[in-house]
Amino acid sequence: MGVLVPSSEPPALEVHDLSVSLGRTPVLDSVSFEVAPGELLSLMGPNGSGKTTLLRAIVGLERPARGTVRLDGRDLREVPVHRRGIGLLLQEAALFPRRTVYENVAYGPLVQGRPLAEADTEAHQALELVRMQGFEERDPATLSGGERQRVALARTIAAHPRVVLLDEPFAAIDAGVRAGLRGEFRHVLAERGIATVHVTHDREEGLFLGDRVAILLGGRLRTVGAPATVHDEPPDVETARFLGYNVLPEGAGWVAFRPEAARLDPVGSAGPSVEVLAVGFTGRGSLVVVRSTSGERLEVELDRAAVLPRPGERRVLNWERSLRFSRRA
Amino acid sequence: MSLRGGWSVLPIVGYVLLFALLPVALLFGGGLLAGGWAGWIDSLTQSPLNRQAFENSLEQGALSAALAVAIGYPAGVFLGRYTWPGRSAVRAFLLVPFLLPSIVVVLGILDLFGPSGTVSSALPALGVLGHGLPAIVAANLVFNVPIVILFTALGCESASAELEESAATLGASPARAYRDVWGPGSWLGAAAGGFLTFLFSAVAFATPLVLCGARCYTVEARIWYLDQYGFDPTGAALLALALFLFLVIPTALYLLLLHRLRSSSSSVRTRPRPGRVRSPLAYALAAETVALLGAIAFFLGTVLYRSLSPPGGGTFGAPWTQLFGPTATNLLGIPLVQVLANTLFFAAVAATIVLLLGIVAGYALGARPRLGTGLSLYVFLPLLISPVLLAFSLAEFWRPVLGGESTVWILIIVSQSILALPFALQSLQIPLAGLSPSARDSARVLGAPSWIAYLDTDLPRVRRGLRTAGLFAFALGLGEFTATYFLVTPNFTTLSVAVYDLQDLRQFPLAEAAAGLLLVVSLAVFAAVNYGGPRAEF
Repeated sequence: MGVLVPSSEPPALEVHDLSVSLGRTPVLDSVSFEVAPGELLSLMGPNGSGKTTLLRAIVGLERPARGTVRLDGRDLREVPVHRRGIGLLLQEAALFPRRTVYENVAYGPLVQGRPLAEADTEAHQALELVRMQGFEERDPATLSGGERQRVALARTIAAHPRVVLLDEPFAAIDAGVRAGLRGEFRHVLAERGIATVHVTHDREEGLFLGDRVAILLGGRLRTVGAPATVHDEPPDVETARFLGYNVLPEGAGWVAFRPEAARLDPVGSAGPSVEVLAVGFTGRGSLVVVRSTSGERLEVELDRAAVLPRPGERRVLNWERSLRFSRRA
Repeated sequence: MSLRGGWSVLPIVGYVLLFALLPVALLFGGGLLAGGWAGWIDSLTQSPLNRQAFENSLEQGALSAALAVAIGYPAGVFLGRYTWPGRSAVRAFLLVPFLLPSIVVVLGILDLFGPSGTVSSALPALGVLGHGLPAIVAANLVFNVPIVILFTALGCESASAELEESAATLGASPARAYRDVWGPGSWLGAAAGGFLTFLFSAVAFATPLVLCGARCYTVEARIWYLDQYGFDPTGAALLALALFLFLVIPTALYLLLLHRLRSSSSSVRTRPRPGRVRSPLAYALAAETVALLGAIAFFLGTVLYRSLSPPGGGTFGAPWTQLFGPTATNLLGIPLVQVLANTLFFAAVAATIVLLLGIVAGYALGARPRLGTGLSLYVFLPLLISPVLLAFSLAEFWRPVLGGESTVWILIIVSQSILALPFALQSLQIPLAGLSPSARDSARVLGAPSWIAYLDTDLPRVRRGLRTAGLFAFALGLGEFTATYFLVTPNFTTLSVAVYDLQDLRQFPLAEAAAGLLLVVSLAVFAAVNYGGPRAEF
């Protein structure tokens, strides 16, 4: 997405050295990052990596064991959830049942004590922004998943947050609607100058939406940077694996390469021998799943012109660009 | 769904029809034929004692329910909203009073607040709770407060955590979130608990009988009196019809609230994450909960202690020894071992009937899910039939058919199973409703006949529910007093009836010992229920 980070502006959200434990289990370990106004940071990680806990700690629903969360430079440690000015959007839109779409959207301004006329204006503007005008009197239960998420976004925006946290809000939306919806979300949040943290386990979605992306693995933030940089230069082998690299042990470390940078050569060529497990058509070309002699399952993307192997055949695996990682002591 | 097993709903429908609805309808019909509508109206308007009974039912029911809600609501909120060590154990412990035989609770009130009560001896002013309306309400509260706590907790948990968190991030203060998000669920739960406790208290039998006497009789006790001592079965039948109609509205309201509570619970996709105890409010709620748990434990402890060590002196444990000796046998007409055997046998058979009906009904629900609502409403019908009304109608209709007093044990079992049915089947209903048909369909596709598919796929998943239902029915049967007392002949005396008889004969140490024994048996069943890990559902 094309919104650049305005480097001159001070960050809207600063997370510094944040550690959270749930019960006795440490979930986040010393996480730090910043998000500028209007910027969208995509925070990616597999299930169980601590993404949702991080959002809950930022919004004040979990108490950190250590570290600070600052909004416009103000420490939020003692600020209760309802006074933080941070919006949260969940996978389930969590609209209030037995309230109309309009009542849902006007809820934030009203509970914040704004005058009725102002709340009304805010609600209508927010609904217009997400293209849901005309739905004011509808019962949320009658809306589609995408419409519910639009209403949830309007409700969040109408409450005037400085920061919005998106917790996989597109995960339960049909694929056909998802692409358009995430573009709309990005546009609306950037237009309002809202700093956004978007968590997802979907690599493609994270890389597509984020002005910057961050990778959270095992409760630790491994890298933060521009999408292309993070994608091309993972700092460690776990991050490379999460980003879809093929990883093979090599000497005292690992070699990692992209499926699209790999090729299958005939038996007798130089390189490691692999067994073809499965071959499938992907639209752009074909995906071949192979198994190395040491047992790793690897993926190779071939273009449409390539001659496809059959399952059970052996080939020699080679690749062009690769990264090398050494084992940590 | 490919199964065709709607017919299997017939056993439960037939059982309730034959042993509850039909006898009650015939009783009403007979009463109206003998007395006529005019007689019916007259019996209600002209008899001051009947009018008084209705006023008593209303007063005792309303007062007990209102106080139970006021006392139980904060602890229910604490149970449903916060995480703390031992929460699930406390939840289970709160079922104990519900499973306690009413006669044991009555004796417990006398132990605490009676003329030589543990509390009233130390604080004479509290002796007021040992007799009359205050004593009745206090006894009712022992059952009612835990019910309200459990229902309120259920209501709190029916609110979505996501919704509450969304409200907070939009700027809603905790008070506002209470009003808008989770408060209504807790009110719903408390109200459902309130109506159920009203139903229990308005038809209380043992409490007015022992703790106050005729001037406090509820309609339930009055029906019993008219039939057994007034020799006026027609008048009793007409009064029973009035009681039935009297219970329709609170029962309907209870079912409506229960339905709404269930609907909101099932619409919550993720269970709420209760908060940790941090705020002063949470500490206040915790203090109230601890005080209530302490009161229940003290109550149970006192009953047990007094059963072993009567206030008049004597060796510790002597009453228990005497209970199994010739004195008690002479007083009761049969040895206490036989009383115990009767009690366990009746309760076990009643529980088995309930279980079998539940298993067959589960198959019917699997085959015809649409039957679910109708069937659950149907098994709730016995709630409208008070224990005395049930026993009275069984005695009038079935006793002559079965061959008189020698077969009264069958009627005792039937009455215990009918009275336990609505509560025990609740433990099954939720797991049954949540079953996915895919496993059953897979078994069918692999060649299993529908019954085998049900037994192999669904039943194992509701095993815990079945176990809870069975033990619940067993525990309710153990402590059942009202209907059993109405039907029983000396040969078939049960432990709860023995407690009352010994009390009535002013054999207080023996009555206390029998109550203690009944308490121990009930606690053992509770331990088994708890071991099965039930959810408190009514």
